[in-house]
Formats: sequence, C-alpha cells, structure tokens
Amino acid sequence: MSVQVEPKKLKWVGQRVRRKDGPEKVTGSLKYMTDYQFENMVWGRVLRSRYPYARIKRIDTSKAKAYPGVICVLTHEDVPGFNGFGIVIPDQPVLCHDYVRCMGDAVALVAAETEEIAEEALQLIEVDYEVLEPVTDPEEAIKDSAPKLHPSGNIHSRVHVKNGDVKKAFAEADVIVENTYYSPRQMHAFIETEGGWGILEEDGSLTIRCPGQYAFRDRLQIARVLAWNPERIRVISNPIGGGFGGKDEITVQIYLALLALHTGGRPVKIHYKREESVIAGIKRHPFKVTMKTAAKKDGTLVANKVVAFGDTGAYASLGGAVISLAIEHSCGPYYIPNVDLEGYCVYTNNGIAGAFRGFGVNQVCLAIEQNIDMIAEKLGMDPIEIRKKNVYHQGGLSSMGHRVTTSVGTWKTLDAAENCELWKNREKYKANPSEPWKKRGIGVATSFHGIGMGFGLPDYGAATIELLPGGRFLVGVCSEDIGQGNGTVFAIVAAEALQCHIDDIDVIQGDTRRTIDSGTVSASRSTYVGGNSVLAAAPFMIKLLKSTAAEIFKIDVDLVELRDGKLWAKVPVEGKNVLTYADIYQYLYEHRRETKVEGHFMVPKAEKQIGNNVGMPHHVYGYQTHVVLVEVDTLTGETEVLRVVSIPDCGKVINLQGLEGQAEGGAVMGMGYTLYEDTIIERGIFKTTNFTNYILPTFKETPIIETIPIEEAEKTGPFGAKGIGEVVMIPIIAAIVQAIYDATGVRINHLPATPERVYKAMKEQGVIYRG
Amino acid sequence: MNLKEISFTVNGQSVCVFTYPAKPLLDVLREELNLTGSKECCGKGECGSCSVILDGEVVCSCLVLVGQVEGKDIKTIEGIGDPDHLDPLQEAFLDCGATQCGYCTPGIIVAARAYLDRIQHIPTHEEIKDALAGNLCRCTGYTKIIQAVKKAAEQQFILR
Repeated sequence: MSVQVEPKKLKWVGQRVRRKDGPEKVTGSLKYMTDYQFENMVWGRVLRSRYPYARIKRIDTSKAKAYPGVICVLTHEDVPGFNGFGIVIPDQPVLCHDYVRCMGDAVALVAAETEEIAEEALQLIEVDYEVLEPVTDPEEAIKDSAPKLHPSGNIHSRVHVKNGDVKKAFAEADVIVENTYYSPRQMHAFIETEGGWGILEEDGSLTIRCPGQYAFRDRLQIARVLAWNPERIRVISNPIGGGFGGKDEITVQIYLALLALHTGGRPVKIHYKREESVIAGIKRHPFKVTMKTAAKKDGTLVANKVVAFGDTGAYASLGGAVISLAIEHSCGPYYIPNVDLEGYCVYTNNGIAGAFRGFGVNQVCLAIEQNIDMIAEKLGMDPIEIRKKNVYHQGGLSSMGHRVTTSVGTWKTLDAAENCELWKNREKYKANPSEPWKKRGIGVATSFHGIGMGFGLPDYGAATIELLPGGRFLVGVCSEDIGQGNGTVFAIVAAEALQCHIDDIDVIQGDTRRTIDSGTVSASRSTYVGGNSVLAAAPFMIKLLKSTAAEIFKIDVDLVELRDGKLWAKVPVEGKNVLTYADIYQYLYEHRRETKVEGHFMVPKAEKQIGNNVGMPHHVYGYQTHVVLVEVDTLTGETEVLRVVSIPDCGKVINLQGLEGQAEGGAVMGMGYTLYEDTIIERGIFKTTNFTNYILPTFKETPIIETIPIEEAEKTGPFGAKGIGEVVMIPIIAAIVQAIYDATGVRINHLPATPERVYKAMKEQGVIYRG
Repeated sequence: MNLKEISFTVNGQSVCVFTYPAKPLLDVLREELNLTGSKECCGKGECGSCSVILDGEVVCSCLVLVGQVEGKDIKTIEGIGDPDHLDPLQEAFLDCGATQCGYCTPGIIVAARAYLDRIQHIPTHEEIKDALAGNLCRCTGYTKIIQAVKKAAEQQFILR
C-alpha cells in the first residue's frame, strides 16, 4: 500500500513553506522547557569535579544537608539502579564514586528552596581527592605507559578498512602527497543551555521535561538508572533551543529524575548557566589525521592511506560511531581502489566529546580535499576537473568497496559549481580586493554524508495520524524539531498525501506519551525516516476515510473516490454524493470509533557490512559542494569570507525555505569551525568559559550565501528526498582553507585558521605586505 | 540584602514587584512577571537573547538590575506582537524563514524593532549587520534574518 502523487501535481512539496511553529517562535510565546513555571518548585544544582583526573577518597554531605533551605543532597549512594549512562556504552557515571575523569564529572546533586541556597550548599559538600596526572594527548594515551582511564584501557575503539594493494599503488603512482591535519574541539553553542524539569506525579509516575534528540532513548537511560519500568516515565523533549548533536546524549534528564524522587513531589528545575554548559556538555572530537594520497598523471586517484586519532575525552558517548563515520567518509565521494584507513577513538581527561553535526566527516573532509587540491596543483589540473574525474556515480563502487545503488549527486553539484557565477568570474572577483594589503582567493570542495544509522544498527521510524474534529489531522512523529524544521516537513508530506491544506495539519513531536518511537534526530535522518513514516501511515488514514465514506454512502469501498481532499461516490447514492473529512470525523465520533492510524518504516540497508565495522556503510548519502571567496588581511592574518555558493544534493527538496535555512546555517557554522572556534582545554582544565572567549560568527561576519539545490531524487525517500542537515557545513571547511591558499600561498593544516596562525604561516613563507 | 518594592512599566502596563533590587531584570521578567519570551543564554551580555527595550534603548536584561528600572519603561518581545496580531517585522521573519530553533529570535526581533523605530530610511545589508551585531544565532546563518529586517523596513518606509 502506498501513496501515489504525480510529481507535476505536487501542491506543497518543493514550495517555500512557512514554518508551522513560526508564529509562536517570533512572538516569544512558545514555551521551551525552562520557560515553564510550577508552583512550589525547588532548584537543582550539580557538584562538578574539582580536577580533570582524581581518585575520590571521601564525600561528606552532612554540612550541606544541614544547611537551611536544602531539601536533599544526593551522591552515588542514592542511585537506585545502574550508575552510568552513554548511548553506546554507558561508561559515564551519573554520580562519580571512585574516580573523576574530567572537569564535567558530576559528584553530587543538591535540591534547595532557591538557586542561591543550592549554590551555597554545593560549597559545603566536602570531597577529598587524590589528584592524579591527567592524560591529555591521545597518542600518549594509547601507549602502555599511560594510566588506564577505564578498565578496558584508553582505546575506546579502532576501525580499520583495507581494500586493494596500497603499497603497490603508492610504488606505481605518479604523484603522492602526505600531510597531517589538526582540527578543533568545536562547541555546539546552542543558544538554549541544558535544563528542564523533573516532576514526580501524584500517580507515582515521573515526568521529565527536557530538550533532547531522542525522547525514547532518554527514557530508557533514565529508567536504567532508577531501575524503573520505562513505562512509568514520560519524557517531553520538544521544543528545543538548538541541538546540533549536543543534546543527543543525556544532559540533565537523569539528575532531574533522581532529584524529583527526593523532593516530596515538588517539581525540580535545573537550568545550566553557560559556564556549566561549557564544562559539562559534549564537544566535537578534535582529530589528528595523517593522510597520504596518490594519483596517476591523468589525475586518477589510486591510493589513500589514513591514520586518524579522535579524542573522545573521558567517556565514549558516540565516539566510536564518530570514528567509524570518519573512516567511512575519509576518501570523500570518490572511488579510490587501494585504501588503508585506520581510526582510533581514544579516552583522555579532556572533557567529553560526542555527536556533533557532521559526526567525524568534517575532520576528514579537510584532509582529503586538501590532499586532492595539492595533487591537482602538482599535475596542473583544474580542481573541479580532478574531482569530476574521480567521483563515483550511482551504481558505482565507493572507496569502501561497496556498490552505491542510491542517488549520487556529486558530479552534478561539481558541474553546478563550475558553472556558477562566482567560479566563472573568479579572476574578476579576485582582482579587486577592498584594500591594497588584502588578498582574495577562491576555493572549492565537495563532500558527502550518510543518512541514518548505517549497516547493522537499528534504524526505524513510526508516525501516527489522527483525524480531528473539523476534519483536521494531528501528525505525531517522536523525532524532535531541533530547529531544522522537520515538523514542517512532516506537515508538508502529510498535506500532500492526504490532499489537504497544510494549515489543517497539526504536528506533535518529542513526547513519549503522545507519540510513538521514531528514532533519533541525528544522522541527517529525520526528513527521510520521519517523512517515510508519515507516508507509511497515510494509506491507513485514506483507507479509514474511504471505508467510512462507503459505509455512509452505503456502497462498496471501491466506488468511493478520494479527490481534492473530499470523498466522492462514483455511483448515485441517497443523499449527498460528497463527504468532507469533517463529515467522516463526525460519523466516526458518533459511532465511538478510533480515528487514529499508525505507520512504520524500516530504513533500507546496504547489501553487506564493510569488514567488522558496525554502521558501515550507509545506504543513502547526501552530497554537497561549496565554492567560497575569501579576503585575507596580510597585515593581521585575518580571513573574511565574502561569498559562499552552497550546492546541496538532498534529493527532492521538500521545503525550499527549510533547505536554504540549513544551507545558510551550515555554511556559517562551518565558517566558525574553520576560522574562529575552539574550546581550549589545557592539562584537562577548560580555558574556554563562555562566549567571551569562544568566538562565534556574528551578523558582522555573514557572507553573501547563494544556495543552488541539485535534486537527484532518491527512489526510497519520501517524494524522492534524502537528508541534508549535516553535510551543509562540511566541504566549506576545506573550501575556505583552499581559498586562503589561493589568496596567500599558505596552507593551513591546523584549524581554526585564526589570524595568528595565518599570519605566522605568511611570515614564515615571506608573504607579507610591503606597500 | 533587603526586599524592596520596585515599580515600572512593562509593555504599557504598570507593574510593582517586591523583590531583591540586585536581581537581574531578566529573572524578574521571567520568574515574577511570567514574561518568558526573553531568554538567558550567556548571562553576561554577549549574545543578546535577553534583549529588551528600556526607555527606547536596547539593553541586555541580564545585565540590568531590577533596582535600576524604578519608574522606567520597558518593552519586551511580548509587547511587540502576538500570534494573532503579528508586527510586520514578525510577519517578515515568517515569510523569509528567519527563525529556526527560535531561542534567539525574541531578542533579535526586539533589537531589530528598536532599530527600525530609530531610523528613517531603508537600511543597507551592512547597516542591518551592524545594528544586530550584538545578537547571536546558531541556526540560521543570519542571512534570512537580514532579508527579513530589510523586507520589514521596505514595507515600513515605502508601502505605508
């Protein structure tokens, strides 16, 4: 059973559709979780570790417990179930009992009458530590001499992919480049810090209101710590003031749950200050990538050898998956027959790293794209020509050795880049810098990103559609709207399938009681999976509408036609021959019948796994090319991005406004990664504290951004759509670095390319302005 | 410190709160007046998420103590429009797709509204960027916000 809509008849798909949640957002009337207020509330706070690595000798909470206004003080002794969390391996203690392994580690929780009393109580908790030497360098961490941060050692995971004969290919190659690249510890910097409410309800159930990226998994992690049946816990995780992967892991949900069990039924609120969010929250994995790439004289790539180290900090979270995805994408969207790709995910005492938009691909894209640019330069080839020559096409082999049967838009995105105004007129753009001491350059780069969880991992979606009074529909998909606008996408898909106006669709997301499990909001998956889930539910709704109409008409269901959002009798009937959805609802209501249907979608998988690497490969990928124009100040080393052309292949575009929003937001976030952003941790201690010393792009740095969608329809996607949330921030990184090289002749292999780094490199190479 | 009665005007209504004069205005707006459109993000005047208009000037309400606003006039996002009565600037945000997660949006609309009320011409992109340089957004890449402010300005200065 499926919904068939002829492409030319699409009414909503591909249009510029206003966000469903827009009016509430632009008026400030939307309630985020920490905007709620409850009578008789108490404040919760978390005691953090004092050291990046230490053994806990003693915890004494007696003074804090005796402090007036304190309601409870909890330690590891108060954890009823399993004292740990973590999406893949729950190796992060909820409340530490033997060791602290990073500054973000939680040691105790306090609930008090006011935030001030809670803060004072934290100071009264006595913790005796035996301070230990922190492990801060991943390459040192894997040596036998390093202290073992976890019983299994400091290598959380190792990924290895080998195809062909690398040694022979390097020996026979005409050109070889080898470089080492370093990338920063980017902070998600969502505008809404972590926070929420825990409430023990009168019926003994627990309600946790906390923004998150997978309410059902959050519920499971909470239940495991409480040793409760998850059914007794309701998690409400929508709306969210920004996620980007940073709310994929548990943030404060478990603290809220534990505290709520000790406040006598009073609602407890936690809302991190930015400084606490910086220390406690996960970050993007800093990588060291050493990459050796070889080509023939004609530009054909023949070999790639990669060794990548990712610093996951104190706990795993999704670190293993990040390294796996990095290796899967380390050869770019090209076919390289001989590869030897090795990645390590390593524990240190440098905070905690986890999911972040791009998920390991950002770090390796910088390496492969830079190496290709160097090869092109050595061979005197055009950078777009060499890429076009090496990309794989639909039905072809990837560098992982698997056949990519789904849509591949890389070549077309590169072709669009070659024909865009900025590229065609690049000499003109470069010729006129704003000041004589500034130099301009243009760069191009391309990348790709897997959609969904990959081979061997559970990946499914589900949606409900409920017919409401007046003939409206309520579409439920648990996958949260973290800002990208997937709720509007679900409404568009439903309106198209049910032939109604988008204003007649309401969407509910992120509530374990009112929606069914639809998997995470991550991995660029929610348009593809959630859209397909809505399309899986829609035929059941159509069947319900038609069969009810047939009953009212007193004719066979085959004689009922759904046309223009109404139900028509194809033969003469008693009374009126057309029914509205409102009529159907009224009839079902009067007969006390169910008006809700559900649909389920299993994400298709590639044919076989790559080696022993769970999650590898993916079946569907989104593709993206960026062209950028930069201007570098040779007196200061400061780089300004002036223009960006973003060319995404997300398959069929569902909401053009939403796609452009992703493309623009991704471009600016990629710009921040490349030029400004890094969370500095020295000897395990955070030097970055807030936005005073973590530099985010502002309005002032915003370039002119043009988006040119390449719609390479994917037949397994909803109306041909794939996903785009992550890849929109990836190739711009390498494109900016290449543009800096084009402008100044210096290659920056260590990001961010701060003015200091660029200036130093220019000085070393004698590229400074002399008037 | 002692509790004190402090009177001021919010969105045209006189209010009187009995609170600590050293409490940030933002906390008073959110916790005591239930005006939660203004958000806390950095708590130190870096991000503009808590922007309100104080006697015609845009300020970060996290940096203003409530004791400082005795007798003053404050406008918050709630005073600019509501879903049934949108300000043209808010309409422009919807038309242009200038909000994503929406957490920074109230502060940006407050700052942009104050800016458009202050000027007498259609601003250039560069002028809009300067005017909003104190507001951070992590989702949108700013582009559609600039377009929305421009669009609202065009309506304000040409079409009225």
